[in-house]
Amino acid sequence: MNQTVEGKVPAHALPGAGAVGIRVQVKPRNRLLSIARPYLYILPTFFFLFIFTHYPILKTFHLSMFKWNLATPKREFVGLANYLQAWSTPLFWQVLQNNVLFALGMVPLTLALALGLALLINQKIRGLAIYRALLFYPTMIPMAAAAMIWLWILTPNYGLLNYYGRWLGLPDIHWLGHSRLALWALVLVGVWKRLGYYMVIFLAGLQVIPEHLYEAAIIEGASPWHRFWRVTFPLLSPTTFFVAIMAVIDSFQAIDQVYLMTGGGPGNATNLFIFYIYQNAFRFFDFGYASAVSGILFLILLTLTVLAFRMLHRRVHYA
Amino acid sequence: MHSRPLWRLAVHSLLLVAALVMVLPLLWIVLTAFKERNEVFSLVPQWLPARPTFNNFLGVLDAMPFWRYYWNTLVVAFGLLTIQLVTITLAAYAFARMEFWGRDVLFILLLVQLMIAPQSTVIQNYLTLSGLGLLDTRLGIMAPYLASAFGTFLLRQTFKSIPKELEEAASLDGCGGFRFLAHIAVPLAVPGYLAFALVSLTYHWNEFFWPLVITETSKARTLTLGLGIFAQTAEGSADWTMLMAATLMVIAVPVMCFLIFQRRFINSFMQSGLGG
Repeated sequence: MNQTVEGKVPAHALPGAGAVGIRVQVKPRNRLLSIARPYLYILPTFFFLFIFTHYPILKTFHLSMFKWNLATPKREFVGLANYLQAWSTPLFWQVLQNNVLFALGMVPLTLALALGLALLINQKIRGLAIYRALLFYPTMIPMAAAAMIWLWILTPNYGLLNYYGRWLGLPDIHWLGHSRLALWALVLVGVWKRLGYYMVIFLAGLQVIPEHLYEAAIIEGASPWHRFWRVTFPLLSPTTFFVAIMAVIDSFQAIDQVYLMTGGGPGNATNLFIFYIYQNAFRFFDFGYASAVSGILFLILLTLTVLAFRMLHRRVHYA
Repeated sequence: MHSRPLWRLAVHSLLLVAALVMVLPLLWIVLTAFKERNEVFSLVPQWLPARPTFNNFLGVLDAMPFWRYYWNTLVVAFGLLTIQLVTITLAAYAFARMEFWGRDVLFILLLVQLMIAPQSTVIQNYLTLSGLGLLDTRLGIMAPYLASAFGTFLLRQTFKSIPKELEEAASLDGCGGFRFLAHIAVPLAVPGYLAFALVSLTYHWNEFFWPLVITETSKARTLTLGLGIFAQTAEGSADWTMLMAATLMVIAVPVMCFLIFQRRFINSFMQSGLGG
């Protein structure tokens, strides 16, 4: 492997730099290889990336302009008709509204709890590793398993939650069968599952805040309350914003718990974006319309992710 | 301030409450899994099983092709990881340590994978795999993830931190190019590989939606999906003890691994936050 190129070796590092110049004479064939080498290295990645990421993105938008369903098995160009169909379908708006509500339930609650727990865990206390493990483990288990666990806990009559609810004098509630409450039951499961993960991200953010700032604040006589709002919170804000965006994106990707716990019901009260796409594509076989909805979701998520990436950059500069 | 006993007591009690809320659901399903079928139909729940039994676990093995699902999951998770390690190593090394025309644009094209939800390309990927004849196969479940922007991103950071002088010295000793990558860069990046491996294995062990779309029979189905499908059969939906036993069997190994290597897992997931 004699592909060292001139100029790469700093002259001061070598007593006889001239000798190196002779050694590293590059043959034309090697030169071609050294130009091609980086492209050969990235080829496997870009081969798969193109087939399963780039092409499907473009193709989804392409398909979204065709009528292609059971009634029209041969696809037919219809322009923006599928998007107009979404616009005029009440269910589409309900799905959007459900998902926005779901995000509004998930994000502030998860953020506040995750930040609170991260602050507590960040204290130098005994048993820290145990607390951290117990709070984090739901991240490790599949959402499908979490769905099973909560199906059982939320079940009417025999469920644990209703039992302790009755104990407190509440009526028996059929959480997942109630058109108002079902969505909040899914929020509960989502928070339970994701809390530990976001806590750990906050913890990473807290650990890069320089200790001397707190020391200075203590010397100045700042109370813990002030130290939080004047030091911790501002320095943590890029993390907070990043986590918030990630949590919103997460809530637009939620599908497993919808599929397994409610099937979108009762009466579409918990029908969220991905489930709606799934229904249209793989139950009603309306690939054109489902592609249009995918395209809309793609644009929503892209906007949010671009925001998150800009924040991430800012965060990296901070640290 | 932090050392005041009262303050410590408050911190401990808050954390204890939070930890209990997280752990009680797990404890409840573990105990349910050992109960007899009709024991759970009581308006006043009993935490401890009256007559602990293993029958639910044996019942699960009869009611679904559990070991088949297990094998599929192992093949998908570890097979995928193996291929990913090759693709991300080569790409990360090129992006970290080589100059080439179009590098920055290509890197952004790579990051596109992090920016989109895999769920929003499900329809087209389904059609592609159908065209390739890979529906209902384990390879089909792995296909969309063979290239990993997250893994490439993570390793690139590690490779970048290897000093140039080391590469120059090695290259003068005849250990340049690919040999430098194999013998020096890769061993130095072991922590990065470990972090990636844990996140990738967890993600694909747990994945539900894509295997749901791509499989039709139990031939290629993974554990998580098998659990979901079992829950919707007559047997699974009528018998809570058996369903909880199945859930426990699905999560037992990952949870055990997590408890043993918890620090490593948590650090890996911390890094995954940086990669999205």
